[in-house]
Amino acid sequence: MLKNSSIKKAIDTVSGMFNRRKTAVTPEQFRALFDRFKKVLDSNNSALEVITDMGEKLGGDYLFDIVYVGKAYADLKREMECSLQQFGELTGNRYPRLPEVFKQIDSLVLNVLSEQPALPGPFVLFFDDISEGSIQAAGGKIAQLAEVKNHLGLEVPAGFVITTAAFEEFVELNRLESLLSRIKEGSFGESDLEELQELILHGTVPPGVSGEIVRAVERLRKNSGSSVIAVRSSAGEEDGDRSFAGQFRTVLGVPLRPESVERAYRKVIASLFSAKATAYQRQTGHPVGSMKMAVGCMAMVDAVSSGVIYTSTPDGDAQTMMISAAWGLGEAIVEAGANADLYRVAKDREPRVITNSIGRKESRIVLSAEDGTIEQPVPAELRDRACLSGEQIAVLAEQAMRIERYFGSPRDIEWAVDKQGRARILQARPLAVRTREQPAKPAQTLTPGGNAGHPELFRGGEMVQPGIGAGKVFLAGKPGDSLKMPKGSVLVAPHDSSLFVRSMPLVSAIITERGSQTSHMAALCRELGIPTIVNMPDAMQLLKHGQEVTVIASDEGVVLYSGIDRSLLAGAGQNGQQMEALYEFRKKRYILRYLSPLHLIDPLMDEFLPERCRSMHDILRFMHEKSVGELVEQARTGSAGYRRKTVVPLDLPVPAGMLVMDMGGGLLNQPLKGKAVLGDVASVPFKAILRGMLHPGAWREDPVPLNAGDFLSSMMRLPDIRSMTESTAGYNLAVISRDYVNMSIRFGYHFNMLDCYCSEKAKNNHIYFRFAGGATDLTKRSRRLDLISRILSSYGFTVKIKGDLLIARLAGFAREEMEHVLDRTGRLIAFARQLDAVLASERDVILFAERFLKDQYELASNSHSIPR
Amino acid sequence: MKYKIMVIDDEKIVGDMAKMSLEQEGYEVETFLSAEPALARLKEKKFNVVVTDYKMKGIDGMEVLRTVKRDYPETTVIMITAFANLDAAIEALRGDVHDFFPKPVKIKELKASIRRALEKENAA
Repeated sequence: MLKNSSIKKAIDTVSGMFNRRKTAVTPEQFRALFDRFKKVLDSNNSALEVITDMGEKLGGDYLFDIVYVGKAYADLKREMECSLQQFGELTGNRYPRLPEVFKQIDSLVLNVLSEQPALPGPFVLFFDDISEGSIQAAGGKIAQLAEVKNHLGLEVPAGFVITTAAFEEFVELNRLESLLSRIKEGSFGESDLEELQELILHGTVPPGVSGEIVRAVERLRKNSGSSVIAVRSSAGEEDGDRSFAGQFRTVLGVPLRPESVERAYRKVIASLFSAKATAYQRQTGHPVGSMKMAVGCMAMVDAVSSGVIYTSTPDGDAQTMMISAAWGLGEAIVEAGANADLYRVAKDREPRVITNSIGRKESRIVLSAEDGTIEQPVPAELRDRACLSGEQIAVLAEQAMRIERYFGSPRDIEWAVDKQGRARILQARPLAVRTREQPAKPAQTLTPGGNAGHPELFRGGEMVQPGIGAGKVFLAGKPGDSLKMPKGSVLVAPHDSSLFVRSMPLVSAIITERGSQTSHMAALCRELGIPTIVNMPDAMQLLKHGQEVTVIASDEGVVLYSGIDRSLLAGAGQNGQQMEALYEFRKKRYILRYLSPLHLIDPLMDEFLPERCRSMHDILRFMHEKSVGELVEQARTGSAGYRRKTVVPLDLPVPAGMLVMDMGGGLLNQPLKGKAVLGDVASVPFKAILRGMLHPGAWREDPVPLNAGDFLSSMMRLPDIRSMTESTAGYNLAVISRDYVNMSIRFGYHFNMLDCYCSEKAKNNHIYFRFAGGATDLTKRSRRLDLISRILSSYGFTVKIKGDLLIARLAGFAREEMEHVLDRTGRLIAFARQLDAVLASERDVILFAERFLKDQYELASNSHSIPR
Repeated sequence: MKYKIMVIDDEKIVGDMAKMSLEQEGYEVETFLSAEPALARLKEKKFNVVVTDYKMKGIDGMEVLRTVKRDYPETTVIMITAFANLDAAIEALRGDVHDFFPKPVKIKELKASIRRALEKENAA
């Protein structure tokens, strides 16, 4: 934490200066202004420390209880209220929406903490009216889709959701509670589930709900002009991080009439209790019977083509996305069967197709004139033609990147292109991907020819989920056969199918002759960590029913050995043995989504508004940016003499866009022509940082070669000081005195904050450095922070990292040592500007850190090209 | 033979997380949300280590400690508590507790403590 004594000193110096020079602005006024500014920053710092601590404690390495979570949040709330109060006074309450947004987020957090269900809301919500707070009411899937529409402005079919409150009403009216609570307690069989589904299918939609459906149907018909809708599940899972891919019923082609909608509604909510869906709930730690179902009703897109986008490859290559496409409606892709087109697209600034494979598309599913959908043959001339033009791929890829960036994690997106060629987003749910840091298996296990006593059978197929599985082969000609499968079998089937989820607790591995990386089954296997191989030709012939095999799927390929190799299995570790699988853990950790992610990125690019704040971190970031701006503005609007002396642009050999506010003794001379130059800087700590930032090589102007991804350009786009004079957005500001600097500096998506007191008295000296950044993919974000942390630690900083935040502190160093550390920190700030484009692997992190510490700042974009 | 660990905490999440992480170490783990059924279970089965919350409704952690020390002296007790309370720690140490952790407990440290307890047991 900042030392009050050092702040006082800075303020005293300022007062002294003003007393001597007798400016138009009284020292008291300025003192009060700066005092508030410091208070905002201090409370912000404390608040961010709490967020970091919570992120650490709730990260899976600690046993924690609700007492801790409650207490930590109370600390956070206190600091934020204090900060908001000071911020309000500093800005003359210029942002009245900010405290409101804070209250909204606070109530969401308190909801999670108290485990109180939200108050019964409306039974129907139109997509336009769904907000951050409606996740529970609208269910994860529809809430996220509505965000895509409302926040990103992407095209989503018009529609409404029948909320979880309606579901509760349905349960009550049809007296399903007693059966449900029996199921909740875990004492139920298949017959109970079947009975429950029957009761729902023949249940009565409560009059209140029914009335709202009638009105919604009317409104949707008027607004969208469509007469057919898709009715989709949107389970109200608490965390929204699970995919529930293909678990529940979707009814397509439902006529937009109240009675048809109600029939489809019952079908969808009944599917919450299907054998397949309950199996999934058990495996992902959701107690069966406690989940509530919302149901989305959306205008059907009469799709020419449709498909799925994975914004990251399932094996964790975050720089590449996969787009699959087929003619007609999307069912063909998400459920087994059809040969689709598959495009791998590099996520460059201009998305670029790396590879494409055009499938032979024999049949398609289209809307039928009557109820529902029909399957029909694809006209001969279209069969081998690509479903998407280059332009359409670019549009879809660009939208997918925006969606991923918005949610901050990889997404599984369903899309459709209509007859007018317009792309629509139908769904944007989380995608489970494997991180590349955990190779499936060391390479030596893939011994050619086989391991001791276990000859190799054959290789081939496409890995969906890596791992090792062994058992007796069970050939399932039809998906339903898998239900008879004995425990521990290796399931072999002609097609992939999401029906296999019921067998997933029992299965050792899954092999299919056909299938895709983007099917529901693939998503489920990845989520549950089941070794899975698709597209293994002739597997049904090559393998015999009952034969014992060991399957190894890894990055190196897929190999089958004869017999059960126990030594391999022993080393394979336990799949899914992660805290993530614990429902209670996810439920508690859910609170973090309201605290730590940083969405409010760029004050120049995005709408940098209070109402865009979605987390406490966003609010803190907003306050910081605007406080800096306020300080500058207030100084600028003061008298001319005062302005000239206090806030001036600093002319540097690099385009850092820096404004300097001198609080006394920070600048040597009266700056000429309203500009200061490097030689004018007398502030000891600021001078040291600048020396570092300008160190030869540390600040690179030339773009980093290769892989210069999506965000590089914005990093290099630095704020132009001249164009900023009329706007408070996006200052890089250093408030300085002789012994003090508080510097807020932003490069693209990186935010650096450094607060330092550096005097002759070592015990008063401190550095507080904070780095935050969003925008790139999660893996790179954590590598970036890891690299910075390694470097800072070696200079003696205590570093804490969680999520998007890094906080480093150091105190009590003598002045010379402080200057040395500040110089290196300055170099690091400059150096880190371009890190996002590199850091392809963990090895790069270690390598670049080592080099940095040896004063070597060149960045090769590819670790393979770096000499060892 | 697997070592047997009992975890008593009135918050389900603590037991769930402890069970998952300790089972990864190869221990057999049983969890309880209150002391009464846990003490009943001790009559049926020998546990090597009991990890108990300090403050619980009904029988509290200190009483669990006393009971275990009296009736099953070969069983080690580790205490965890939501409040870093010095008096509680002293009281527990006097009652011959093996270790005392304020929550949140770093799982690595809990595992290390259990390992030490088991080593001690083997040496004895």
